[in-house]
Formats: sequence, structure tokens, C-alpha cells
Amino acid sequence: MSDHVDGPRSIGEPAADVSDLFAFTSPENPARTVLAMCVFPSAGEDAIFSNAIDHTIVVRRVTVAGVGHAAKFQPADDETRFSVRFGALQRDAAGKVSQTGVCTLPGGRTLSLTVNDEKGASTPEGDIRVFAGLRSDPFYLAWIAATLEKVPNLLQHDNVLCIVVDLDTRRVLDPAKGSLFGAIAETAPDQRAVTRIGHPVARVDWVGRPEQTNVRLNNPGLFGVDDIRDLWNQQTPFAISATLQPLFLQRLKDSFANWDMRDGQADWTPDALAANARVFLDDFLLFDVTKPITDDSHLEIEKSTIDGRPYQTGGGRTIDANSIDILLTWLVNHDRQFLLGGATGATKPGLKMFPYFATPNSELQTVVKSVALDADPDEVWSVIGSFDLSWHPRVARVRLTGTGIGQLRTMTTLDGKEIIERLEALDNAKRSMTYSNIAGIAASQYTGTLEVRPKGRGSVAEWRVQYLANGLPDIAVKTIVSALQKTGLESLTTRFGVTV
Amino acid sequence: MSALAELDDRGPAATDGEIAAINLESARRRAWSRFAEDPARAGVAEAVVDSERLTAQFPGDLDALDRLDALASQFARVDDSWRAALIQAEVASTVHRFDDARDHLARAALLGGPNEAIERHRLTINQACGVALADVLAARRRIASTSGRLEDLVPLGAVLADLELFAEADAVYRQTFDSYDDVSPFPLAWVCFQLGMLWGELMPAPDPNLAAMWYRRAIAYLPGYVKARVHLAEIYASQDRTGDAEALLLPALSSRDPEVQWRLADVLAAQARSDEAEAHLVSARLGFEALLEKHRLAFADHAAEFYAGSGNDCWRALELARANVANRPTRRALKQARAIAGEC
Repeated sequence: MSDHVDGPRSIGEPAADVSDLFAFTSPENPARTVLAMCVFPSAGEDAIFSNAIDHTIVVRRVTVAGVGHAAKFQPADDETRFSVRFGALQRDAAGKVSQTGVCTLPGGRTLSLTVNDEKGASTPEGDIRVFAGLRSDPFYLAWIAATLEKVPNLLQHDNVLCIVVDLDTRRVLDPAKGSLFGAIAETAPDQRAVTRIGHPVARVDWVGRPEQTNVRLNNPGLFGVDDIRDLWNQQTPFAISATLQPLFLQRLKDSFANWDMRDGQADWTPDALAANARVFLDDFLLFDVTKPITDDSHLEIEKSTIDGRPYQTGGGRTIDANSIDILLTWLVNHDRQFLLGGATGATKPGLKMFPYFATPNSELQTVVKSVALDADPDEVWSVIGSFDLSWHPRVARVRLTGTGIGQLRTMTTLDGKEIIERLEALDNAKRSMTYSNIAGIAASQYTGTLEVRPKGRGSVAEWRVQYLANGLPDIAVKTIVSALQKTGLESLTTRFGVTV
Repeated sequence: MSALAELDDRGPAATDGEIAAINLESARRRAWSRFAEDPARAGVAEAVVDSERLTAQFPGDLDALDRLDALASQFARVDDSWRAALIQAEVASTVHRFDDARDHLARAALLGGPNEAIERHRLTINQACGVALADVLAARRRIASTSGRLEDLVPLGAVLADLELFAEADAVYRQTFDSYDDVSPFPLAWVCFQLGMLWGELMPAPDPNLAAMWYRRAIAYLPGYVKARVHLAEIYASQDRTGDAEALLLPALSSRDPEVQWRLADVLAAQARSDEAEAHLVSARLGFEALLEKHRLAFADHAAEFYAGSGNDCWRALELARANVANRPTRRALKQARAIAGEC
């Protein structure tokens, strides 16, 4: 949920869709603060940043201007900006594709960086280090928001494009002048460009507290209401239109009243709900660099202030924070009882060192099937050790090309599919054969291994396939591979019998 | 200001077309993965449909149509609600099985599907079939003026062109182009292509140079836009710029769209490179027949045009053109069938 796919307009260019914003103390150096934004929800392995957008994180100093039902956080006018613009793709002499970008830092300094370079780029002064690239999505959502039904993480195995700014807290943010900050992240076309209709193009997306659009403004429990997320996304951060503020405020009040009653119990008074709505209308991610920012401290600054007491933590939002459950618990039962969704973590936890976000999800898939046979291993191998696969009942015909290692088999299956595979290794003494797929299965790095091992008075035939799905989802390729393995191995049980 | 001079202005900025194409493919694959993980989850199958349709429309990957068929049947096995019926309707409509699409829409309505979505689909089908175009136009105007979104304005331009209200169609397309305020190049390339079609093929007095300008602009936004390359190559070929036409078509061969092979064959024949031309012509014929076997109605009109031309099989062309008319009796379809009948 977070801010993933938060409006029809951002769906137009997924690389402009800001999915999340983070602010936390560096796990490897407590004197540094990390700000990070993510774009492109559900990005695939090859995702690249748009070169038509400025990706910007903005920080303003904030003061507590009211507590309890008058809770308010007042941002200053001055802001600290980190803005990254990426270039078009570049190719080296070998045809390898890369992308570079330039981060414009506070004070106008610039920092050149290469996308997916895990070391990132640092200023000569060492006060700022920046990374940009594909990482595992740290957000996890394990609820059906409309019904509060627990489900497994809906973003499992997802990747996002991340921009990470690691900065020296004292030198860059100067907390002596005030340690509480509000951050936003935005994507906007070059604001200097004037379109043919004579005005600058509006921003595409922005995020303060990440669940603003998909949970608070567009509460899926409110039926029949207009989707106002695009209207919100085109507001100016820290300066929501005065004309539209009543509209957004009313929507937040309606939404919060709905969330409160999701468990059938009213935990909020109308005044307290209104106070929440006013606080969340001022949408920026609060963090205090002099207090501990932990996986549990997300929203603590807002919550304590609304409850009329001084905040104790640095708030913020860490990579491993259970952000959605923290928010839902607050909205549904005012922290009476923690609401734990159907998952306790994202696909991968965050890293303790720069760039903090876990590596992207791209593991090879493995499918293994075996069968215990009532026959001598050599007897079994004499049948299945033949590269022509003529023993396989799904194979209608095979054409072999060449001999020995490198030999190709072009198979036509009973349902008319053509599969071409290459013999990579053959060891008759060990009863082992390895082959690769050349064509016919939507996968890359596809390797299959057939082996026969002795087991008791009989043997075990094992068929192992590894692949990276390419053009079809993992599960689709897995279904194809599993069916081939299963049919083949089952035919052996008919031929040789099964050992118990 | 002349139309051509006006086009010298820079259009709206957008993400580089190569990046956008890579990201589309990336999103498409991930959408399938998400479908595999949880096929019934709201929005997941719909995301696959969206990305596959873009993949068919722009990079010209016609295998997307097979994948869409697979998606519709897989989804129907895990979901028996109006969502499955709507997706089946959209997939059937994409491959021009309009009768099937109408049946699925009726089922979606019976299952309580959202009226607005059903009506939008129905409108698309009626427009594609040339049915009740006056009503379609009224509805398109209403929707476009309410939403102002590009995806509603372009179909308005298209129905205006279908009704031969060319000046207004041109105005709508240009307004859509000029007022675009996003950064995805796909919608911009789409509008440019529509303008190319309008000026190159639909207008009673075509302006090939202006059409070429719009096609070039479409390709500038999206270098992998196969249809735009094919149409621009046709114009170049008609202007004896066969070298330019060949250069446009060669990068599009990887799409395996038989129309690329066909147009390339024509260009090579014009350069007296007969053997190469013949090889591409054979591939084009095989390609069309393979597509017709799987998606006869989707490719009947294109294949008819092929067989009426370099494919050199007038009766096959007429049979396909008639099938197209029976499926969607639009003015263009009727015109094509009459022209082919006159040649046989």
C-alpha cells in the first residue's frame, strides 16, 4: 500500500510513481542520517529511472506548534533539497548498458553517480553519499485493506528503484538550530520546461507520510467516493492549496472515522479524530535527529503530540519498520492492541551498511523431482542416460544434431511445442547428464540435470532444473518444467516398478 | 503558421523511449509474476492485461495476444466474478472477437460488474464495429469533457475520424498532444501515430509529408514503435526513398510482425533485390497464416491487404476482407472489401 500506485496519473509512468520515503539514523554510523525515496512499484529486474524527471527529497525544519487536540507541526520556509536527474542510457564498447545521474545538493554542489553502483558517490568533503538503483522493496503489506483480512505479504519478491542520501547530520542538517524535521519526496518533470499550453507541467507524484494517499485519503472502506489521489499528488508539498484544504480535511475525517470502526469499537472521540485529520493534512515525514529512530518509532512523534505528551523517539521511518501495522493500529484502536498483519517482514530485511536497502530479488528457481525405482541403477541409466529422450512419453519426436558434448536435441512434444536443448556434460560412470535449454522454454540460465543413484536394492532417479524465468512468470515456467519431469519420472515407475 | 512549421516546435518532454520500453517489459514480466503468486488478487490480472496490450500496441509483440488468451482462461479458473468476465471481454475485444466480447460483457453485467466499466467496453466495441457511431460520438464527447484524460480524448478523435469529421479529429488530437502533462512517451507516441494515420490515410486528400512528420515524431518518442515504422516506411517507399524505408524496417524485424516482412519485401523488390525480397515475402506469408490460424478476426483486414498486394492471392484477400466485414462492418472494412472485389 504505502504510496505504491497511488493514482491513475502515476500509473502512466511507473518510474515516476513514488512508492516510499524513509528517514532514519545510519545503522553503520549514528552521526549520519539516511533519507531515501523509492519509485517504480513492482519494478522488474531491468527497471531504469526515467530521464525526464527530477527525483527530489526535501527537508524542512519543523516546530511543534500545538499539542493534544490542537496538535500542529509548523514547517519553516527554508528547505534542504537533494535532487537527482538521470540521463538516457549509455552503451560501452561491448554494448553493456548503463545509466548515470547527477544529484544536486544543498548549496548547489553536484554529485555524479552511476545507477546500481553499490558504493554510491560521495562528495569530496564526505558529508553526503548518494546511491541510486534497483533494490528489494522493503515495504510489506499483509492485509486486504478493505476488509482487514490478514494475507501474506502482497509485495513479496517485489523490487523498487531507490535513491539513498546518506548525510552527516551535524554538517548538513545543523540540529543545533532545531532537531525536528519534516521530509517529502517528489517526482516532477523539469519545472523550467514550459509546455505548449504555456504553463509548467505539474509534479507527477509526491509523498510525505507514505500511506497518505492509499490508506488515509483513499480508504478502501469508503465506498462510492471520488478518487482524489491525483488531485492530492498535484498539490505543492508544505503548501496544500487553501481552497482544497477543506476537501482533503473532510476526506481525512471521514476516512479516520471509518478506520476507527473497523473493529466495531469506537476508540476515538470526534475531537481526537479531527485532531488526527489536521495533523495528517500537514503531510511530511517527521523525524528528530537527536532522538532514537527505531523500527518501532514510526509516527511516534505525531501520536504522542496528539495524545498531549512530549514525544520520546525520533519518529522517522526505518527500512524494516512495520509501518502499515503501526498506522492501522493507531487508526483502528488508538494503540489499544497491536494489529499484526499476515507477515512480519518484507521479502528481505534492510542492510546494516550502505546502501541499506537489500539487493534486488532475482534468484534462480529450482525444481527437483525424484522417484525411487525397483531396478538396478545401471538398468535405469541404460534407458534415461540417452540424450535423445526417446523414453519420455511427452516427446513425439526428436532430431539430434552433432555428437558428444554440444550435441543438440530438437524435440517436438505431443502438444506441438518445439524445444531445443544442448548436452553440456555426460558421465556414464556416475550416471549423470547435464543439459541446457536453447529455445522453447521461456527461461534463461536454464540447466537440467538427470542422475541415477543407488538406493537399497533399487535406485533413485532425480531430475533437477534451474532457471530464471524470462518472458513468462516463474510459476508458469515451473508448471511446464514440473509437468515434463513428472510425466517422465512417472513413466519410469511403470517400466521399472516402485520401491517402497 | 503552416502545419509543418508548427510541427518544428518541440513537443512535450517525455521519458526516453528506450527506457520506457525496457520499463514496460520489466513491468510486464513482474505483472505476470504477481499473477502467478496470487492470481485472484484485485488489480493483478488487470495489470497484466494493461501491460500486454501496450506490448502488442507499441513494440508490436504479437505473442502478447497469445499470452492474453492464456491469462483470460487462467483467470477464469480462479475467479468466477464479473472481473473474469470483464477481462475475457477485453481480451476478446483486443483480438476482434467482438461477439464473444459482447457475451462476456453481458455476463459481467449479470454478475454485478460496475456499469461504467461495462459501458466503456461496450462503447469501444461499438466504435470498433462501426455500430451506432452517432451515439458513440455523443458518449465519447461526454466522457472526454468530464475526464479530460488522454485515454478518453484519443478515442474521441478516432470516432470523429471514423465519421469523416476530419478537421475536428485533427483539432482534438492536437489539443491532446499539446496539453499532455505526464512524462510517459507511450500516450504521446499514440497521438502522433493517430495524427499520422489521419493525414496519411484517412483524409480525402492525404498529406504524406505531414503524415510522415507525425510518424517521425511518434518514432522519436518511441523508437520501437513498430506500426509507426511500418507506416512511415510506406510513405518513404511511395516517395522512392527505399533506402530510408529499409533503414526504418530493419530494426522492426525482431517484432516478428509479418507486416514488417511484407513492407521490407516491397522495398527490396523496388531495389531489384529479388531474392531477398522473395525470402521476406515467404516469411510474411507464413507469418500472416500463423496469425490467422490463431487470431483470424484480429488480422483479417491486414492479411487481406497483404494478399491483395504483394501476397498476390486475390481470392484469399477477398475471403478475408469479407470475414472482416462480417465481423465489423465499418466504412473502412466495406471500402477494402469493395476494392478487393473489384480487383478479382
